[in-house]
Formats: sequence, C-alpha cells, structure tokens
Amino acid sequence: MPARLTRPELSTDEGGLWSLMDRQETQLRRSPFAVRDPQLNEYVQGITCRLAREHCADIRVYVVHTPLFNANMAPNGMMQVWTGLMLRVENEAQLAAVLGHEIGHYLARHSVERMRDVKSRAAFGQFMGLFGVAGAVGQLAVIASLFAYSRDQEREADAIGATLMQQAGYDTAEASKVWGNLLLEIQARPGYDEGRSSPMFATHPSPTERQETLKLLAELNPGGRTDEQTWQAKTAPFMLNWLKDETKRGQHEESVALLTRMIGHAPERAEFRFARGEVYRLRGSGSDADAALADYQSAVKAGNAPAETYRGLGIVYRQRSDAAAARENFQRYLEAAPQAPDSAMIKSYLEELGP
Amino acid sequence: MKIIVVVALLLALAGCVSVTKVDSGDRPVGDRLTVNLDGPWNQINAPNLGPAQTWTMEGLPVDQLLLYSGIKNEQAIHAERVGAASGATPKVFAFRSTMQPDEIVTLFEGMLTRDGSRFELVKLEPAPFGGGKGFRFDYTLTRKIDNVQLTGLGYGIVSKGELFAILYQAPKLAFFARQSARVEQLCRSARVKNI
Amino acid sequence: MGVGSLTRFARASVALAATAIILLFAFAGPAGAQTKNLADGFSLLPKNAKVVIMPTDIELFSISAGGIPEPKADWTEAATRHFKAALIEKKKSLGATALELSDRDADEVAEINTLHAAIARSVSLHHFGPSYFHLPTKAGKLDWSLGETVRVIKDKTGADYALFSWIRDSYASGERVATMIVLALFGVGVPGGSQVGYASLVDLNTGQIVWFNRLLRAGGDLREADKAAETLNTLLDKFPSAQQ
Repeated sequence: MPARLTRPELSTDEGGLWSLMDRQETQLRRSPFAVRDPQLNEYVQGITCRLAREHCADIRVYVVHTPLFNANMAPNGMMQVWTGLMLRVENEAQLAAVLGHEIGHYLARHSVERMRDVKSRAAFGQFMGLFGVAGAVGQLAVIASLFAYSRDQEREADAIGATLMQQAGYDTAEASKVWGNLLLEIQARPGYDEGRSSPMFATHPSPTERQETLKLLAELNPGGRTDEQTWQAKTAPFMLNWLKDETKRGQHEESVALLTRMIGHAPERAEFRFARGEVYRLRGSGSDADAALADYQSAVKAGNAPAETYRGLGIVYRQRSDAAAARENFQRYLEAAPQAPDSAMIKSYLEELGP
Repeated sequence: MKIIVVVALLLALAGCVSVTKVDSGDRPVGDRLTVNLDGPWNQINAPNLGPAQTWTMEGLPVDQLLLYSGIKNEQAIHAERVGAASGATPKVFAFRSTMQPDEIVTLFEGMLTRDGSRFELVKLEPAPFGGGKGFRFDYTLTRKIDNVQLTGLGYGIVSKGELFAILYQAPKLAFFARQSARVEQLCRSARVKNI
Repeated sequence: MGVGSLTRFARASVALAATAIILLFAFAGPAGAQTKNLADGFSLLPKNAKVVIMPTDIELFSISAGGIPEPKADWTEAATRHFKAALIEKKKSLGATALELSDRDADEVAEINTLHAAIARSVSLHHFGPSYFHLPTKAGKLDWSLGETVRVIKDKTGADYALFSWIRDSYASGERVATMIVLALFGVGVPGGSQVGYASLVDLNTGQIVWFNRLLRAGGDLREADKAAETLNTLLDKFPSAQQ
C-alpha cells in the first residue's frame, strides 16, 4: 500500500489537475444530482474505507443520480458512484470490485499519467470531462473514449483492486462477474458499440481480456464474503426508483437483458419482474404486450408487487379492450396508491370503462 | 479563438435565425390549432429546432413554450438529433396515433431526458384542451447541463390521429410563477379545428 | 486513438454546440452604447452601497507546445485573487463597500448561483449577441430579474448588490477551437488565446440585473497582477460609479 498521497505543488501539472477537480467537486457537492441520503452515503463510504484503509481519509464518495453503470475517482480523491451501478451489482463484493479498481487507478496516479500522455495528442479539456459533473451524459461517453486507460494501467488497477478486495475480506471471484454481466447487457443492444454503450467502457478497455486476468487473480485468493444480504437490505429503499429510472432509459434491449439476469438471480423479488414488464409494455412491439402481462402477473404472484404493477396490467388490458380485467386492475392500483401522480388520469380511464 | 471564425459563423447564420414578436390576439399555429394571446411572446426561428414552435419570454436558456400542432403518426416530436446519446443509434421519440395520455407523457419525458436531465411527474389528469377532452400534466425537470431546476406544465389532445400539445417550462425559482397564469390562459384559449 | 477519429456524430454535435456557444459570446463589435450595460433607471451606485462579491468562477488554462491546454492552478488561484483585489479596489475607489461570501454560505445559495448563470447565458445571447437573437419583448433593454429569490443573499450578507462573474481564459491558438467552446459549456475549458466571461450586478432588493458586461476577446492576461488588472478593468468597464 503506497503512502498517503500529498497535494502536489500548485504550480505543477498535477497540482493544476487537483485544483480543477476541487472546483468540480464543489459543484458536485451543490448539485441536485448528488444523492443526499445520509445512510446510503455512509454505507458506500464505509465500503470504500474498508478497501482504502489509511487512504480513506483522503477519499470522499458521492453517489450520483444517473441511471448508467459508472464509477470514477478523480486524482484529488473525489469518488463518484452512479446509481446505475448500484442497480446492477448483485452484492457488496461486486461494488467493492469496482470501487477497488478505481482506488487502484487513484493510488497508482493513472489519471495524471493519462493527462501527461494526452499532451501528445489533443483536447485536454475533453479529458477533464471524464471527471466532470455537468455535461450531457451522451457527450461523456463519446469524448471519454478518447482517453481510456491503457491496458497496462487496467491490469495494474485490477491487480490493486483485487488485493484491496482480498485484504478487506471480499470474495475476489465477484470481480470478473461484474464485467461479464455488464458486457452481456450492452451486447443485447442492436448495433452496439462497446466504447459508446457505456461510459464505463469508454474509459476502460474492454473487459473481455481482463476477465481472464481477474479469474486468475480470484483463483489465487479463493474465499471471502459477498455480503449479499447486507447489500439488499441497504439498497432496498432505493431499488424501485432505480428500476424506474432504468425502464425510462429507452434502451429496451439492454434493460430486458439486465432485468432478465436480475430476475434469474433473485426470482422472489417482485419489483424486478414489474420493471421488465414495464419495459415490454413501453417497447410495445410484436408480442411485447403478452410478455408484459406475463411479467406483471408473475410479479403479483411473487407478492409485494409495486402498486404500478396493477396500473401496467390495467393499461395493457385496456389496450386489448378487456374491460373487466382493466377495471379490476385500475381499481387495485388506485387502492394501493391513491396519491399517485397519475391517479386522476387512471380514475378517468376507469370511468370510461363503465360499471 | 479566431475572430474570423466567429464572424464567418455569424454571417452564415444571419440568414437563418430570427426572433419575431408574436402579438396579442388570435394566432394560428400550423393548420388546425389556434391560440389567443393576452400579450406578446418571442418566437425563435432557426433551422433544426424540431416540429414544435418555440417561444420564450426570458430567452432560450431560461424558459421555453413549445407548441405542437398536428403531429402525425410515427412523426418525431423533436429535431433530428445529430449527436448520439450513448450508443450507435440515437433514440427517436415518435408519436403514435394509438398513444394514450400516459404514453404521450412518457414520450415527452423521454425527449426531455435525452441529455441526462431528470424528469418527475407531479400530476397527470384529464382536462379540456382545444375544445375537446384532453389531458394536462405538471412536472419538474432537473437540467443536467447546468443543474437548473425547472417546473413544467403541459396540455395535450389527440384529434383525428394527430397530436396537439403545448408545454411550458421555466426555472422553479422566480420564473415559472411569472408566466404560469399567462400560459394557463393561453392553453385554455387553444382551439383545434374539426376536433 | 486521437481526436482526429472523432466520429461523424461527435464532430457534428460538437459543431452544433460550438455554434451555440460562439453565438452566446458573439463578438458584437466595438463596445455598444452605455445603456446596453445598464438597466433602465439605474446609472449610479448609491453612496455607501454594499456589494457582495459572489464566488468568482474563473478557470485559466495554458496551452503547451503540443497544443494541449492544461489547468494552471497557480494561475487560476492568482487570477481569482487578483480579480477579487481589483474588485475591492474598484469598490473602494467608488466609495462602496465590498464583502465576500463564505464557502459555506455559497453552498447554501448554490441554487441561486445556478439560476443566475442561466440568466447570464440568456443575457449574453439575447442582449449582447447578434441582433437577430434579440428578444422583441425586451425592446433592446437590459431587463432581466431574479425576483425575490435573491432575498436570501441579502439576509445573509446585509448587502445591497451582488456581483457575479465568470471567466474562462487560455493562452494559445489551436485547431481544437470548436471543442474547447463546447467544453466552455461544461465549464471546463476555452479556446486558445482568448477570454470569455461576464460580470453581472444584481440589486438585492428587487433581483434586477442592473448592470451586465460580457467579455470576449483574443487578448488579455490574468496571470499577473498588473495584466490581470487590465482584463478586469475591461470587464468592469462602464461599471456604475457611486454617487458622490
């Protein structure tokens, strides 16, 4: 473990980078996109500290409300974790894998190396966009791909990350799973282009080859915790909102791939089935309506389905002119969520359907 | 920056961009929609703004009034997007004549959040619009690019398979309240021909 | 992979956004009439007026031989100091008092700051921009107000006016001009060899922007105190004097 990083001289290039990141961090701290829930922040900061140990004091974690898989750490110790990442990992160990990897980049000062390397190319300002807060998410993916960490840096970060995971007692086998899962998801998109499908892959070279390395590292250090139950408990209050954000992304194929994996991993969780039902309903092509009905119904069967499940059922049945089924489900929705934003609209659908 | 580049671009755009005053009184929007104005607005005319008319009181970075008239089945509700958001094919938000109010709101939500902004529906309810039974929705939008929190309202109706809608959004602080009464009045005055 | 391999989409979107930003700070020729910078009914700062200086948003870059801008923290720090000092001097010479907003207070008024930045972009585009962007309902006047929302700043500081400013500055020419302009949107960088920025004075009783100046030029230097003073004087050119 290297010694704690000290703030570089203001006049150096590294100093300039830190200082710029400090100003970005101030903006992030004030941004409405920063998730302010203290318990969630404490939890993620806790995992980070377990990994970073004595460096914990230099790292500040921000959970950011963006429905994409991404985490990054700026050279000044500012760590961002996007809610899309929180949605996708299955347990604490998987989050630790990503955080550990980013801490690896930080400890090895890769971003400064990248910056110095960038000098031989162009548009440093775009590089800054990697750590920026504002800016269109879409732009980030495009410009970030120009400044991906090198393969050597990736290997180094993976190695450091695995070590940190292992020292913190996590099961390092979870690391290769995270990347494998993400790859599966983005490969589902028609005409997908790795670099531009996910901001994460824009800054990190494809994980396909790294998976071998990660598997090897895991074999060298078998055992360790996944803390899946803690993870589920801590993220439960936010899960439905993150799922809704995902369904609204409009990337139907990716969402279906993601949610299918999540349903397979945790078949008892009604909200995952509800979410996939929503995606099918919103896509609405071919036999999607049937698929939506099936998912909504299995969510109801699983128990504790979100109120919107009944709305979804009502809408599909209404589309099919099945008045009785539509009525029943709209009624259940209004009973379950009388204060829902669209309750007045659903009430009027109900009235149209007659007695 | 080379000043010559700036000048060249300005000259290039000089012919294409204009802001015209929309005066009080009856005002047709497209073939089938008319609104009645209690006071002037500014209409932005520029290439590639999309199928809606774009009006403003305080300027584009602050508030926008979008007027949609006769959007047809499969027609996109926004301009052709040149910069792709995360991915090979840019997502297109197209109206379908079979869409119900909740789906139309989802459509607008998709358009407004293309750039990573966050949308939250506050209320959706049936409401008269254009002389028929339409819908109205209230929302909030947190703009990604600069973190400004906006308040928005919209009215819409589908008539003979075409979409008619008016949306207004402005910063939650100070600005939305300034125009909201005028916008409500404008929307109440809307009439769709042969509804 | 170098910048040359920017995709068609990216290049086009950069061009579009670049156009937007260029227009935002469009060079409107030699300084316009005095009234362009002033709202109706305002010309002098009242005697003993208290002006709070909102946290200045300045970012300076240097462009290396290879054409890459890199953030210069020491320059930025120096420029921020110089700017504040120049403002305070200005206030003193005008007979008004200058205050500063603490970082903690700045956190609490972040939403107003954010709002002001959007208004400032609008003023830059629609008031100082090319004439075809002018808003007819504004009738050529500087007529924008944040309303009662600024009350919070007044309560925190006891000031009568607030001065907001934003500067992006770098020191080289380059082919990455369009991209740099796009990033000015993100608050990150700026085309080589130029300064873009604005300064805005808000009446904390009404929320009205009573004075506004925007800067766009190919020269200027904020790195050293004396040269910085020149830039700042240009930005604060036609800043309202105080009543005697």
